[in-house]
Amino acid sequence: MASRIIETVSLARRSFLKIIPVAGMLAACGTAKKIRLALNWKPDPEFGGFYAADYAKHGLDVELLPGGAGTPTVQMIGAGSAEFGIVSADEILLARDQGNDVVALFAAFQNNPQGIMVHASRKLESIGDVLKSGTLAIQSGLPYARLLRKQFGFDHVKVVPSPGGDLTAFLNDENFAQQCFVTAEPLLARRRGVDVKVFPVSDIGYNPYTTVLATSGDLLRRNPDMARNMVTAVREGWRSYLDNPAPTNQRMHALNPTMDAASFAEIAEAQKPLVEANVLGAMTKERWNTLAAQLRDLGDIKQAAPAEQYFRSL
Amino acid sequence: MNKSSRKAILAAMPFLVVTIALEALVRAGWIKAFLVPPPSGIFITIVRDWRELFEALAMTSEGAVLGFVLSTLAGIAIAVFLSSSRAIQEAFYPYAVFFQTVPIIAIAPLLVIWFGYGMRTVVASAFIVSIFPVIANTLSGILSTDPALCDLFRLYGASRSVTLWKLRFPAALPQILTGLRVAGGLAVIGAIVGEFIGGQGLGSVIDIARTQQRTDKVFAAVLLASVLGLALFGAINVVSRVVLRRWHVSEQA
Repeated sequence: MASRIIETVSLARRSFLKIIPVAGMLAACGTAKKIRLALNWKPDPEFGGFYAADYAKHGLDVELLPGGAGTPTVQMIGAGSAEFGIVSADEILLARDQGNDVVALFAAFQNNPQGIMVHASRKLESIGDVLKSGTLAIQSGLPYARLLRKQFGFDHVKVVPSPGGDLTAFLNDENFAQQCFVTAEPLLARRRGVDVKVFPVSDIGYNPYTTVLATSGDLLRRNPDMARNMVTAVREGWRSYLDNPAPTNQRMHALNPTMDAASFAEIAEAQKPLVEANVLGAMTKERWNTLAAQLRDLGDIKQAAPAEQYFRSL
Repeated sequence: MNKSSRKAILAAMPFLVVTIALEALVRAGWIKAFLVPPPSGIFITIVRDWRELFEALAMTSEGAVLGFVLSTLAGIAIAVFLSSSRAIQEAFYPYAVFFQTVPIIAIAPLLVIWFGYGMRTVVASAFIVSIFPVIANTLSGILSTDPALCDLFRLYGASRSVTLWKLRFPAALPQILTGLRVAGGLAVIGAIVGEFIGGQGLGSVIDIARTQQRTDKVFAAVLLASVLGLALFGAINVVSRVVLRRWHVSEQA
């Protein structure tokens, strides 16, 4: 009940705000509610374009909410505690299958940056080799983990939980492989003097869009202009970040001093090929259909919906 | 109606009221099912995935109970040691506080390296998280023995160790048991946190279900974890009844 009352109030306020500028009382715009964009990690190059974007230019007052391990951005969008959020394509499929009406708008990473990192000294040739011995630290709940299991079996490798970005176990044990962002952990491991080899998860044909800007179906219906402006701002933001990441990196580094400035620069450079596209952020039906079929075959979703339900090109 | 069935009904009432209210709110659409699953959905998940869930519960129970037993033994031993002299207490007690403040998640990767993946990491995590209340309560119990009784023991020429085992320790039992009640719940939390990194049991189920956005399964696992916490609590209450019944007010009436 409470949420309905709030809904009515905020609708009333929104229409009220539309009248105010007409009346010439522009000052009142300062009281408008900020648009929240929920991130699923701390400020880092992965979000560079979102930090670089000039939202004000498109009439948007956006507040970026940094997250942490397991920030449930997809649920936040569904619950209305953030208007926009950063999710991955597989999360959208899972969410929609559970009745959470979340829609993808802009795929910052065209190619999946997830990979598996191993010590180069092991001389492994493929992901299949990684699963033949040693230890693999991976988030077992992720679809690609189960796809790996289906394709290769986990009988010969000890599967343990992913330690997030922590490298202690990896550096300590030559036969330890761990899931990573191909742009981030390998770089840090090399800096610690370990020669690593990285197998992108897309090698096994699993290539969801990631770092995807998403919103709720509800917001798309009520305020398509806001969504469109958001996508435009974000696309320009990514263009500018790809061309010149330094100023944005500096700002993000101030917000997240744990990551050093050199890493910001190196990761921003390393991720360029994963982001760059003819039209930044654009998505295709084929990719969504492929992913939906994969998740359906894994039993993660009950049925694959038409691709148009999963994303919107604005 | 006898007293114990009345107590059971009273304790079940809040659970029933909350369950029914939640079910109604979700069904009426006021709470979205992907945020808070309806109790019926959680129940169905427990029934459908019972094998996986109960195997996980068994592992978590083993880790939590082992950690709890270790912190009981070590905690009491440490408190007795600390109580032996004022100087020792002042020198070492601040370090015991370390156990209470250690952010287990931060040292998790180290636990894994020291103890390996699996049960030993889980036990270590349960132990670290649950030992402090045992130390603090035992120590405070031993130190707050009635001074008149201590004088009496001294008057009869009782040795320090006799005073400890015949007077101070029994007198501290009510407080020790209070410490154990707190430690029991913490051991369950510690075990599950250990399982997030050590990879087994309910912690692992919760971690995976969360990634898959299966809130129903997350809640099912949480419910089983709280059943485990209640079981430990109940076991400590039984021990408390047995050892205190004959002389302490808290177990009479």
